[in-house]
Amino acid sequence: MPTTRRQQQASASDPAPEAAHQPPHIVTTISKLSKECVLRLSSEKIYFIVNDDSSGPAPPVLWCEIPQMMFFSEYQLIGVDDEHKDIYLGFSSVNLSRPLVTLKSAKSLKMKLTKKQCPCLTLEIESASSTSQQTRQVTHDIPAIVIPRKCWSDFYEPQVPKPDISIELPSLKQLRTTIDRMRTMSSDVVIRASAEGRLTLQIKTDTAKVSTRFKGLTVEAFEGPIEHSDSESETQINEDQSRLCVCRVDAKKLSMFLNADQISHNRVTCNVVHKRLVTLCLRTDENVHLQCYITGIVY
Amino acid sequence: MTEGLKLTVEEGKCVQASAYVPADNFTEYHVREDVDVMFKISIAVLAECLNIFGSAEESSLKMYYRCEGSPLLLVLQPQSVHNVMTDCEISTQTPDSLLDLRDSDADEVAKLVLKAPAFLALLADLERSCDVLELNLSPEHPNVSIVTYGMQDRSCIDMPKSSDMVSSFSCEQALTLRYQLHHIRLFMKALALSSKVVLRFSSNGVLLLQLKLEKEDQRQMFSEFYIVPLLDD
Repeated sequence: MPTTRRQQQASASDPAPEAAHQPPHIVTTISKLSKECVLRLSSEKIYFIVNDDSSGPAPPVLWCEIPQMMFFSEYQLIGVDDEHKDIYLGFSSVNLSRPLVTLKSAKSLKMKLTKKQCPCLTLEIESASSTSQQTRQVTHDIPAIVIPRKCWSDFYEPQVPKPDISIELPSLKQLRTTIDRMRTMSSDVVIRASAEGRLTLQIKTDTAKVSTRFKGLTVEAFEGPIEHSDSESETQINEDQSRLCVCRVDAKKLSMFLNADQISHNRVTCNVVHKRLVTLCLRTDENVHLQCYITGIVY
Repeated sequence: MTEGLKLTVEEGKCVQASAYVPADNFTEYHVREDVDVMFKISIAVLAECLNIFGSAEESSLKMYYRCEGSPLLLVLQPQSVHNVMTDCEISTQTPDSLLDLRDSDADEVAKLVLKAPAFLALLADLERSCDVLELNLSPEHPNVSIVTYGMQDRSCIDMPKSSDMVSSFSCEQALTLRYQLHHIRLFMKALALSSKVVLRFSSNGVLLLQLKLEKEDQRQMFSEFYIVPLLDD
């Protein structure tokens, strides 16, 4: 493995206070979703990628792009050769989220790829002492796997079909509370999004049928009409079926993705490919772009 | 019932708990006057539905029930956000027969009125590993003593009627009763919501606990617990 030829250093000194809080929240969100994650470093952006735990090479379930300029004052990256400039690292997401929590009170963070007993992502965190003028430096070594080039293709941005509808989401915190209540009753939730800006979450069990309806949401794109030829799309009064997209998803996954409410964001949209896929897209002021893919459940 | 709503749950035929929500708690309340409307639903599902917007959120609630066999309909709307509502259909069943623990042949042999917060603190202090709580009531000092038996110890709390936490005490004859501590713990949550609690002991040993639930700027609700005693081995 040509790891020794790779040197990479990125450091953030003096980040804007707001911006410094974002990466810990992002990584915490990721660590709640999955034990493992992949960090891809390229000259312009850094990426966090999570693949589905259960099945080997599968398209990512989470894709997060962070422009390095926003967070790092210095960024050096040397890849294997000109054609392979990027670096892909796999590591335990909790190992990264724990040290990053201390960033709140830190003055600067330096991230390095180092070779110790094994390849490590080394974090050097400089933090001010609460009692004196001096600063402390804490170093965290996170064991990482350098992902060989032949596996890079497992971590490419998923090619998703064009959504049938793209609708603004209500407050993620509120949404998560509701989903968490529903999740105790049913393992899957049906999401309906209408061209009129209505979003419905519904569960159905032997004992209860619960529907939470949001209205007045901005619809950013609608590619209807959609074929509704089967029984699952239950008729709702006054709702034009051709203007409605439906997808049934795993309630637990949806709830986990909604942990992203910790990341301060300016816009979250929900893209639905009728009966196949729900994508949650979150954008922040720093141009961080986080996408979660939840595949639909079909009976 | 025209008087209000009553929810009853039972555990293992040993504990029966009821909550009463008097009709004046509702801004509107209509019920058929000729019959008592009664049905059975899952309390877990009902609790989840009522908390659908989170327990911190105050929501308005409408409840509908048509007739036997039809579901209970709930419509919830949070007060702070206006673009959202939830409707729930909870399926109902014909109720099983409820335990009738109110034995008219058994007289009331002792009655205690206590301050709920102090009583709750006392129960919270009891040894966690114990299974049985023994209650000695007597007209003589110390009037009430609560005894628990642990692995290697016996602990005893005396509560004379002169105590600050005892508002009223009546008992004609000394008696000893034993209850499952686990059953006693069931009413601690309700105790936390109330200010005063009445304990009534009947001659067959059944404990009836009556609580008035209060929350600032809300009307009163009541709850009742019947707890069956442990018999001597």
